[in-house]
Amino acid sequence: MNVLGVSSRLAFGELRDHKRIYAIIILVIALTMTSFMLENAYLNYMMQVVDGTTKLVTSDAIIVDEDSNIRDLYGTESELKNAGEIARRIERDLPGYKSSIRVTAQGTYGLGEEGEVIDGCGIQGINPKKDDEISGIADKIVKGRFFRHDDPILRGHTPLYIEIKGPGGLPDFSYGAGEKLMEHEEPYPIIVGSTAAKIHPSVNIGKEFQITLSVSGKEKSFATVTVKVIGLYESGTPTLDALVWFMHADSLREIKRYGEVTGKDWHIPGVGTFRGYNPIEVDRNRGDAVIIKAPDPLHKLDPIGHSESVKEEVSSIVPFLKVYSWHDFLIYIAGSMQDVVTIMLWGSIGVTLLLCGAAIKYVMDSIIMRKTREIGSLKAFGARDRVIFRIYLYQGLIIGLVAGVFGIIISLIVMQLVNFYGLNVEFIGGTQLKVGFIINWFSILIALTVPVILAVLAAAIPAKKASMLSPVEALRKGELSL
Amino acid sequence: MAKKRNPIIKLDNISKKYDEYGVAVKALDRVSLKIYPGEFVSIIGPSGSGKSTLLHCMGLLDRPSTGYVYIEGKNTSKISGKEVAMFRGDKLGFVFQTYNLIPRLTVLENVILPGLIMRRDPAKLENRANELLKEVGIHHRADHKGIHLSGGEQQRVAIARSLINDPILILADEPTGALDTDSSEEIMELLVKVNKNRNVTSIFVSHDMHIASYGKRTLVLKDGRIVGDTKGDLNNFKKVLKKLPKKARGERSGS
Repeated sequence: MNVLGVSSRLAFGELRDHKRIYAIIILVIALTMTSFMLENAYLNYMMQVVDGTTKLVTSDAIIVDEDSNIRDLYGTESELKNAGEIARRIERDLPGYKSSIRVTAQGTYGLGEEGEVIDGCGIQGINPKKDDEISGIADKIVKGRFFRHDDPILRGHTPLYIEIKGPGGLPDFSYGAGEKLMEHEEPYPIIVGSTAAKIHPSVNIGKEFQITLSVSGKEKSFATVTVKVIGLYESGTPTLDALVWFMHADSLREIKRYGEVTGKDWHIPGVGTFRGYNPIEVDRNRGDAVIIKAPDPLHKLDPIGHSESVKEEVSSIVPFLKVYSWHDFLIYIAGSMQDVVTIMLWGSIGVTLLLCGAAIKYVMDSIIMRKTREIGSLKAFGARDRVIFRIYLYQGLIIGLVAGVFGIIISLIVMQLVNFYGLNVEFIGGTQLKVGFIINWFSILIALTVPVILAVLAAAIPAKKASMLSPVEALRKGELSL
Repeated sequence: MAKKRNPIIKLDNISKKYDEYGVAVKALDRVSLKIYPGEFVSIIGPSGSGKSTLLHCMGLLDRPSTGYVYIEGKNTSKISGKEVAMFRGDKLGFVFQTYNLIPRLTVLENVILPGLIMRRDPAKLENRANELLKEVGIHHRADHKGIHLSGGEQQRVAIARSLINDPILILADEPTGALDTDSSEEIMELLVKVNKNRNVTSIFVSHDMHIASYGKRTLVLKDGRIVGDTKGDLNNFKKVLKKLPKKARGERSGS
């Protein structure tokens, strides 16, 4: 046994002597860390759920024209005429980065029986060739199928482009929305969120219905197209998968006239001019935005920092355009809710831990006051200051370790129980949101190290005080009769 | 015979001043003293005469304000705090009035403790502690917690503990101060026996004349100064005690 052995042995003895008060402190710290672990694990779960969907739309970053804002990603405001050139430049100048041109539109659709409420959705163009590298939507299909690149139903349409000026400059749907002007057209294949399918029974695999798309927002133009649901995807976030649907990018280009078009105009007196084009040579260099997939980071401990650094790198290549990171998009979707929850979580845990730290310090202070004679005796027996320091420091270390380990064990048990019995909460549109947990090593590390650091720091102050006691003063305090 | 050898401890004109609530108090006033190997020295004096301060300075628990303390010829004022701690653990043994056993440790563990602090071999320490407990007559309670022992028994353990590192000097501060008369006699006889058998230099402080009379050499302290020294001649004992105030001479064992 060595000096370290003496200090740790005496430290254990002290802990045994004051087991009740230390047990209470350990329990409070352990429960605080349990709360941290559970909330963190739930946030991780929610983050993953939200990530899954936001990354479908933005991947790691998205480039839009300088006049567009983040909201336009769901609309029709944005357009990048040289999207192909930008996408190629990103892949050339940023090794490891992948880029894909995205076409977007905003749609409304009426479902089921006549009179059923019209709902809205964002239509994202998907390029099946690059999808696996960029957004991974193919992996998220839960029913039906994904787009095939050479899908025969993709091409050969005669999209209806309707440019109607309604009263007061607003479009008036009564002039043609929902009407199929050309006969014998194949519907456009579309993939919708499984939650949307649950909310609207009319939306399901094989169902056909019409969507009126706002295809060029600045000119307030609309096209009414027939779509057929070929697949359902599961994003995990009911709000997003009810809002964002996917169409083949070339189909959207066709609808939005992104290409070489020829054809004739139909003028219907009293209604307006309808222009039909068949076929359209789609220009694949045109799109509304360019989405970027960055190489995976070395670690996933700081996803927000990684997202911001990706944004910086991409911005440096296209300084004249706007770049939104995945995190910008997340904030837009979640309204910074997650950041606020995280700050509040850390704040409340910080306050509790500080109080525990103060409790450790004051308990040790009072113990040391009663143990001065013992400290004096140890010094008389040759104990150096650091031996005394360690006795109290080790107590802090043990308290912190035990509290951290207990906190982790309790939280793991709670998570196992919740996972075993299952817990669902009602979410938007009557959908059930499963409460789940995702534990990461980072939160385990935090749950173990934070109590240790806190308890050691709290113990270090009284430990230093004890070690600095003069032996004669310490002995005198216990032997006043001399 | 002993005086022909080098002193084991030498105090050279040491003074100790305290500051109590802004008032300077002189606990020791230019004390010079030599103690030789094997001596059994008692220090007597009334309360506040500075006897404990003197013992603390000799035990390197306190540093004198002026003057020097030499142990085995080494000037201890020149050594660092770390060395002082090592010196205390290695060369000195302490016996306190209140025994100062660690209550949560067993008798055996209490005895071993100073050895562990000095990083001695635990197995050897345990053997030595058992021998010492036999020597002080408390071996049958080796596994008991110190707190469950009587005062006399605890002081026996404390004496065994003071010997664990084989010190050159034992310093006992009112070793019988908390004991009844019978126990006091037993403890003093034990200290005499240890001094005789092991030839270890022992210095103890008492304000009780009867207890002080166990010393083969008695020093009388008054107002921080040594006013009497029997110099090893027991015939001088009564003579040097006359240096004490009358009230102090009438004192019997106390706590």
